[in-house]
Amino acid sequence: MIAYVANTLPFLWEGLLVTLAVSGLVVAISLVTGILCGIGLVYGPLWVRLPIRIYSDILRGTPLLVLIFLIIYGLPIISIDFGNYGSAVIALAAFKTAHVAEIARGAIQSIHYGQTDAGKAIGLTFPQRLHYVILPQAVRRFLPPWINAVADAVKGSALVSLAGIVDLTLAVQQVIGRTYDPLPMYLLGAFMYFAINYSLSLTSRRLEARFAYIRE
Amino acid sequence: MSQPLVQVRGVKKSFGTTRVLDGVDLDVAKGEVVCVIGPSGSGKTTLLRCINLLETYDDGSIKVDGVEVGYEDGGGSRKRRSERALAPIRADIGMVFQLFNLFPHLSALENVTLGLTKVRGISKAEATDRATHWLARVGLSDKLQNLPSQLSGGQQQRVGIARAVAMGPKVLLLDEITSALDPELVGEVLSVVQGLAKDGMTMIVVTHEMTFARDVGSRIVFMDDGRVQIDGPSREVLANAASHERLKTFLARIEMKH
Repeated sequence: MIAYVANTLPFLWEGLLVTLAVSGLVVAISLVTGILCGIGLVYGPLWVRLPIRIYSDILRGTPLLVLIFLIIYGLPIISIDFGNYGSAVIALAAFKTAHVAEIARGAIQSIHYGQTDAGKAIGLTFPQRLHYVILPQAVRRFLPPWINAVADAVKGSALVSLAGIVDLTLAVQQVIGRTYDPLPMYLLGAFMYFAINYSLSLTSRRLEARFAYIRE
Repeated sequence: MSQPLVQVRGVKKSFGTTRVLDGVDLDVAKGEVVCVIGPSGSGKTTLLRCINLLETYDDGSIKVDGVEVGYEDGGGSRKRRSERALAPIRADIGMVFQLFNLFPHLSALENVTLGLTKVRGISKAEATDRATHWLARVGLSDKLQNLPSQLSGGQQQRVGIARAVAMGPKVLLLDEITSALDPELVGEVLSVVQGLAKDGMTMIVVTHEMTFARDVGSRIVFMDDGRVQIDGPSREVLANAASHERLKTFLARIEMKH
C-alpha cells in the first residue's frame, strides 16, 4: 500500500507544481490588476469607474467554470486562442481581479477622509498620498480578505483540470484511473490542498500581527 | 496699506442646494491672528477649508500672498487648478484639524518629517533636525518615536501643530483644534498656539474659546448665515457684543455650555 502510494508521488508532485504555478500566476496577476482596479474604483473619474464597476459585477456574478469554458472553447471561434493553459490562467486571473478590486476598494475606503485632508494639507501629491499615507494603512484591512482570496484561487485552480490541464486534481484522477482506488488518493489530494492553504492562513495571521500596530 | 497676506473676496460655496458661504470677504495681514467665531453651520470650517482648497469655492476669489489658490490666473474663463498644481500651494498653507488627523502608522517624528522630505525635498537628516526642533517646541521631546495611538489627545494635537508649522507655512489655519479635547488638555494646546502668535505667525483660528479669542486674537470675525457679520479688533467686538443681537445670542449660548 505504502509502496504504491509512494510510486504515485512523483506524478502527483508534477500535478502539484502545475497547481502552484497556475495559482501563483493568477495571484500575482490579479494582485496588480486588482489593486489598480480598486484604486480606479475609489479615485477614478466616471469613465474609469463605470467600466471597472460593470466588469467587476459581471465577473463576480458569473460561475468561474463558465468563464474558463468561455475562454477555452468560446473565444477560439472568433479566432482568439490562448491555448488551454493560457486560457485557464487568464480566466482565473480575470475572475480573481474582480474580487481583489473589491477588497482593495473596501480597504482604501475604510481609511478616514481626514487622512487624505492631512496629506493634502502638507502638500503631498495624489501618488504621494497613496504611497505614504493611504496604502500603508489600507494594507492592514486588505490582507485578511486577500489571503482568503488567495486560498480561494488555489482551490479554484482545481477547475482547470476540467480543461484537460494536469494539475493536482487531474493527476489524482489519473492515478485513480489506473488503480481504481479513489479513497486514499482523494484523501492525499485533499491533504495537499489543505497543506498549501493552511500554510497560507498561518502566514496571514503573522502578517496581521505584523500590522496590528496601526491603530486609529 | 500693503496687500493683505490672505485676501478673501465674495466667496460663495454651496453643497448641493445648501449655500454654506454666501459672499465672504476677509483680509488677513501678515502676523495677524484672526479668530473666526460663529454658530455651527455658519460656514467657518468651510471657509477655512476653501482657503487651502480642501473644498473648492464656486465663486469669488481667495488669494494667499497674491496667488489665487483655487483657479489658474489669467485668461477669461476660470479654470480649476489641477491637483498637481495645488500641492505646492497647499504646502505653504498649514492646517491643523479638529480630529488631529495624524498619520497613525507613523511616529510623531515621521508625521512631521514626511512633508519636509517628500514635499520640501529636504534631506532626511535635516528634516529630522527640524522636526525634532518643532516637537521640542511643542513640548514633546520625549515622544519622538511614539505612535499617535500612544499619545494623549493634547499631545496628538501638538504633533499636528508641529507637523503644520515645520513646513514653514505663510499662514496657519486652525480648525477648532481644541474641540475634540478633554477640557484639562485644552490649555496645553492653546499655549502652544499663543507662543506661535508671539513669534508673529499669521493664523486664522476657528474657535469656540472666547478667552483665547480675546487674549490672543488680534481680530474677531463673527460669521453667521455664510457671511461675515462682524469684523473688528477682538476686545472691541466682545465689548460691544451687547449691541449686536446675533452675536449676543451666540455668546450667551456658548456661555451656557461652559
